[in-house]
Amino acid sequence: MNCSNVGRKSPQDYESAPFLAACWTYISLAILIMFGYLRDFLRRIGLDKNQSATERNKMKGFVPLYASFEGFFSRNIFKRAIHGAGKPICSPPTVEVDVLERTSDDENWHFRLTGKKRRCINLASYNYLGFAEKDGPCVHATAQALQQYGVGVCSSRQELGNYNIHEELETTTARFLGVEDAITFGMGFATNSMNIPVLMGGKGCLILSDEKNHASIVLGARLGGSVIQVFKHNDMDDLEEKLRDAIISGRPGTHRAWRKILIIVEGIYSMEGSIVKLLDVIRLKRKYGAYLYLDEAHSIGALGETGRGVTEYWGVNPRDVDIMMGTFTKGFGAAGGYIAGSKRLINHLRTYSHSTTYACSMSAPVAQQVISSMRIIMGEDGTEIGKLRIAQLAANAKYFRRRLRDMGFVVCGDDDSPVVPFLVCVPGRILAVMEELFERNIACVTGTFPATSITKGRARVCISAAHTQQMLDKALDAISEVGDRLQLKYSL
Amino acid sequence: MGDGGTTYSGVNPNAVWLNSRGIWLSYVIAVTILHLVLLSIPFLNVAQAWTLTNVVHNIGNYIFLHMLKGTPWETNWDQGKSRLLTHWEQIDFGEQFTTTRKFLFLAPVILFILASFYTKYDPLHFIINLSTMLLVLIPKLPQLHGVRIFGINKY
Repeated sequence: MNCSNVGRKSPQDYESAPFLAACWTYISLAILIMFGYLRDFLRRIGLDKNQSATERNKMKGFVPLYASFEGFFSRNIFKRAIHGAGKPICSPPTVEVDVLERTSDDENWHFRLTGKKRRCINLASYNYLGFAEKDGPCVHATAQALQQYGVGVCSSRQELGNYNIHEELETTTARFLGVEDAITFGMGFATNSMNIPVLMGGKGCLILSDEKNHASIVLGARLGGSVIQVFKHNDMDDLEEKLRDAIISGRPGTHRAWRKILIIVEGIYSMEGSIVKLLDVIRLKRKYGAYLYLDEAHSIGALGETGRGVTEYWGVNPRDVDIMMGTFTKGFGAAGGYIAGSKRLINHLRTYSHSTTYACSMSAPVAQQVISSMRIIMGEDGTEIGKLRIAQLAANAKYFRRRLRDMGFVVCGDDDSPVVPFLVCVPGRILAVMEELFERNIACVTGTFPATSITKGRARVCISAAHTQQMLDKALDAISEVGDRLQLKYSL
Repeated sequence: MGDGGTTYSGVNPNAVWLNSRGIWLSYVIAVTILHLVLLSIPFLNVAQAWTLTNVVHNIGNYIFLHMLKGTPWETNWDQGKSRLLTHWEQIDFGEQFTTTRKFLFLAPVILFILASFYTKYDPLHFIINLSTMLLVLIPKLPQLHGVRIFGINKY
């Protein structure tokens, strides 16, 4: 175990899009854009049917609500690939998922279901520990909670929506994480966007946020009105430089000292698969006197020997992290989020959080699902299922990554993370990967420009503890076949 | 990490994608392809092909960098601030004298020099090449950042 991340080059420092693939990306985008202009022209003169939303005749003289140029990518480029996104599923997102097939008669403007189902190996769901299941101890406990409490809560935490099951959930979460206290919310996104403004509201606050932070963090940071500075992804030198600059120059304009500085990082970044260099972040936080907000949406349950997340992975005392946040959607197969830390922090949030005041609290069966899965992970149910699942996930992730790398794909992220994205780059190939894998009964997720960088379009695989060796091998064979067909093996 | 064109949530990708890997080479390849296409048209001689390359390149440059405003995708994050800016003004969030801007400034100049050479400094070709080069260089000057002459193209 190392005491610092300094000097250790992680794989994420090396991966970049291969040069020729980058050039192909620009050329193919240029061709797509040219055809987009042609189609727009044909729509304008009436030769092509215009299916996008248009202003009503009554409003012709008014300033238009939307500029038609802003919809250019959506109309002409994403529409070609939209059949790959939003596929309806009709089974729980376990290791295999039933995807409903659909066709379009008018080039993806409208879809209709064909009535056929396709059972695919699920490499797309965030089901790290395999708790998204139809049967088992969690489901039975949840069904019992459903009988006891019903589904709806019909109130916020501060009014009449505070169940004993919520309190049990919070004590269990605090015990799981090894901190003093925790508070839970019904929605993971809202945990960030409703609580960061509470913690960092008011003047004189500075937020140092990682480049690849999730939209919920960005929204929460903006709602609070604090000054936001972005540092390069996982780049501790850049973070240190920004910290020093901030402390030396102070607030913009007055140059007075900042009231507080908060560093926001995530445990595992979902589109990169990289793990935060937590040792360095804590060293910098101590050195410069900043606070640390750690968003463990993807890493809780998925990293660490006993599934306690990225703090256990790096051997860090959880009390070193000022505000620990995470979601129950990924590792625990439920919904909602939590914030954990010192009792003072949690008491403040219990009173001042927008979520506890205005949003309805978590549904009781969902809370029970979290409690059951957490107890299984901790081993408190008396079985070894939790330990086995964590070990299986780690083994699966390492195996899958190693095999993909050996095949010649450019794989992003760190070796231990269960999120495995590999670069595809060219937009046509991104759509083709999605389609070809679906033909071979594999469901996976892809990301393209402008969500990712223009040259780093990728396909992403999420490994689960419930994946068997055969499933992974079958998936790898399919990916290898597709990689050969589409020339995606850039490293060879 | 070898790619300057990375964006983060809530920022305009139009400002950074020109910094990505391989843009310069792709730009040169695109202009070369354009030139080869024009050269293969049978009734154009070499001088006319070069001038046409220069003119088409400059007009394309003007339209995409200085005429079209906003972004071709929805800008939910900046509340429409970039809707009134041309692509040139959006590059690198308005910072002047960055590497990308220098490259885009030099491209018409180099094309002009090449076109002048291959047209053997003929006066008519010179006037055409010079005027299109000025058309595309003047809007790139930092003094003209955000300037709309006679209110043309303001909204």
